[in-house]
Amino acid sequence: MLSKVQLYCCDCPRELKFGKSSIVCRFVQDHFDHNISPTIGASFLTKTVPCGNELHKFLIWDTAGQERFHSLAPMYYRGSAAAVIVYDITKLDSFQTLKKWVKELKEHGPEGIVVAIAGNKNDLGDIREVPMKEAKEFAESIAAIFIETSARNAVNVEELFQKISKQIPPLENPEVDSNESFKLTQQPVASTRRCC
Amino acid sequence: MAAEDLPSEFDVVILGTGLVESVVAAACSRVGQRVLHLDRRSYYAANWASFTFNGLLSWIQQQQDDTQPEETQDWCDLLEEGEELIQLSSQSSIRNLQVFTYTSKEDEVEEASADSVNTTEEEQHGPASQDDDSNQENLENHENQEENKENQVNHENQEENKENQVNQENQEENQENHENQEVNHESQEATITEGAEPEAEQPQSPAIPSQSEPSRKKISFAQLEKEGRRFNIDLVSKLMYSRGSLVELLIKSNVSRYAEFKKVSRILTYRNGEVEQVPCTRADVFASRQLSVVEKRKLMRFLTSCIEEKDDQSAYNGRPYLEFLRDQKLGENLQHFLLYSIAMVTEDTPTEVGLASTRNFLRCLGRYGNTPFLFPLYGLGEIPQCFCRMCAVFGGIYCLRHSLRCLLLDTATNRCKAVIDSRGQRISCSHVLLEENYVHERKNVATPPRFLSRAVLITDSSLHGSDSEQEVSMVTIPPITEGAPAVKMVELSSSTMTCMSGTYLVHLNCSSVSSAYQDLSPLITTMFSTPESHDQGRPSVLWCLYFNMEDGSAMEVEGHDLPSNVYVCSGPDGELGHEHAITQAELIFHKILPEEDFCPPAPNPEDILYDGGSAPSSGPEEEPSLQLEV
Repeated sequence: MLSKVQLYCCDCPRELKFGKSSIVCRFVQDHFDHNISPTIGASFLTKTVPCGNELHKFLIWDTAGQERFHSLAPMYYRGSAAAVIVYDITKLDSFQTLKKWVKELKEHGPEGIVVAIAGNKNDLGDIREVPMKEAKEFAESIAAIFIETSARNAVNVEELFQKISKQIPPLENPEVDSNESFKLTQQPVASTRRCC
Repeated sequence: MAAEDLPSEFDVVILGTGLVESVVAAACSRVGQRVLHLDRRSYYAANWASFTFNGLLSWIQQQQDDTQPEETQDWCDLLEEGEELIQLSSQSSIRNLQVFTYTSKEDEVEEASADSVNTTEEEQHGPASQDDDSNQENLENHENQEENKENQVNHENQEENKENQVNQENQEENQENHENQEVNHESQEATITEGAEPEAEQPQSPAIPSQSEPSRKKISFAQLEKEGRRFNIDLVSKLMYSRGSLVELLIKSNVSRYAEFKKVSRILTYRNGEVEQVPCTRADVFASRQLSVVEKRKLMRFLTSCIEEKDDQSAYNGRPYLEFLRDQKLGENLQHFLLYSIAMVTEDTPTEVGLASTRNFLRCLGRYGNTPFLFPLYGLGEIPQCFCRMCAVFGGIYCLRHSLRCLLLDTATNRCKAVIDSRGQRISCSHVLLEENYVHERKNVATPPRFLSRAVLITDSSLHGSDSEQEVSMVTIPPITEGAPAVKMVELSSSTMTCMSGTYLVHLNCSSVSSAYQDLSPLITTMFSTPESHDQGRPSVLWCLYFNMEDGSAMEVEGHDLPSNVYVCSGPDGELGHEHAITQAELIFHKILPEEDFCPPAPNPEDILYDGGSAPSSGPEEEPSLQLEV
């Protein structure tokens, strides 16, 4: 069975070029690009992950920098089963920002959304500003997944998504299809022109 | 979220996140322009926005105390030589807001027969038990219990208010207006709990299985608020023609990948006091029970013949379409369907216009479904957001709660060379787009703005029962009396993700003749059950909102005494489709960048980075219906 897991990644530090794109890139393609484009490259990616008897298809939305001035559009939350919020363990203010995002998410996100907090750059432990204990306790207080990652060294990236996968609730009534919605495409579905 | 400074130079600065602005933002960013996109509001999409129920209540509140005395600061120290300041200030384009709650405040304790004393007690407890939310202002007036019974007084007030409603100067009076209403809506509630409720349960739609609701229980206002997130209530009422320019643009630009759509499943019309389904496909025509065999044959012949332009049609140019239809020997039934529901025109529309819109209707049929229309999941407010996302993906910078204070005019060239934002930062730019709310004072006084009359209802059942609870219906309503406007109504079910399960969201829209309440309430009273209705066997209105919005269709893109590189984007117009907005966006784009392609396809990220052959459309069970990517 394949279930769709839409998630979005959101960056906390102020600089645009940061970990989220590199984490996503590491996860989807297993490579780390120092000059990853924050824009076109990782705007919308997919990867399918086996989880038990199921396949979870991750549709990963990058927020394209819209969170930078606290202007994330509500459309990012639509149908999302999980949200990954990335902060930088070497920047304390990124962790403060993260707390605001969690609040925003709880207020406006879908109910029951799985929240994962990823402290990236754990390869730079010697210049760490956010103690792991503090972050972990915060994550526990809001029942969020917590993990420290290094996109550079491929540490815990796969694990992050595995953890999310395990927490995604089973699909509600996959049989019930009251909600027949669709995407628009260039070649519309077999246009049997049944008009008169 | 931090007080970070914006870059000080852009190619295009856009103020307002309405549809036109957002499409231009995406188009410019897509071809490499540096775009700064601002909105003074805390939400996207300006007058095209959609709100949760609680979000809408705060929006109403904001409109009511929208006085915002913007301090005029002296920015002269930011001026350079040869520059002049043009101050900007915005004005709301919403008028005559009226809210009515026809359902009880709290969950009924017992079965509906609560007497009025009982209700009063509940209401007194209401605000206290509810203040977890910040949107309670609407409820606060509820202390005024004494006024509860003074229906009469309130009605008089309303009469008075009507007189000045379309008059846009009367801000203060409108203010009073609102106060009256809240009292009013108080008394309505009392009325409905006394009498109306017991019979109000969906007797006219026996087909609907009452599985989900704990039966015979009306959804309370408290429940609407509790489930408020399930609502996405649009300020505009439109549909997307499946071959209209918005759909084509979404597909062409690949912006469509950010949204999903529902088919509008049927077209209804209101005729002789009844709601009927309009047959529009061959299958519908044959299945129709309203039409005789002769009528069916005539209708088919007519529709087939009018796809092509013919000489005998051009003979009717300039004469009413209705006359043309009559001369085709189509009976009354068919004339009604063809005129009001298919062409969606009025009796005096010229034949060539009527035929053109009939052809447009037919052309859009069958592309995605049995009606020509689509509706975006989560509401129309998603569409501007999708274009904003495209802009951001290509590097556009987004800032809500952020505005412009003034334009800096280079007096030598009559061009705007920079702007000053609400934080006093000078930002240089080559082009500026403003939403129309910023040019109010500059408008030509000789032609007062036109308005649209809107109503939004939350109801408890569908206007026309069917096997499915999840129909999405377009309802065409001819003028109910001489001189009344023709109304377009859209009824959305919870499958569109715009309302909570067990409710329907109904949007009404027409060109205003007077205030929204005067234009639309007579119709609502006859088609639905409200405390004023005589006939209670219709869908009950739980909550409803009336307002007038300025009609954007007359807004000129240029002029308004503005510099030559400043363009004005109009707000929503009254048409059902989005042709006006998309045409205008393309026009503005080509004024800025005459040589560039308008919204060329964005590369598929899968193609750039990840090619596992897993386009988002794998697995048929995943998306049971129609998902296909390019």
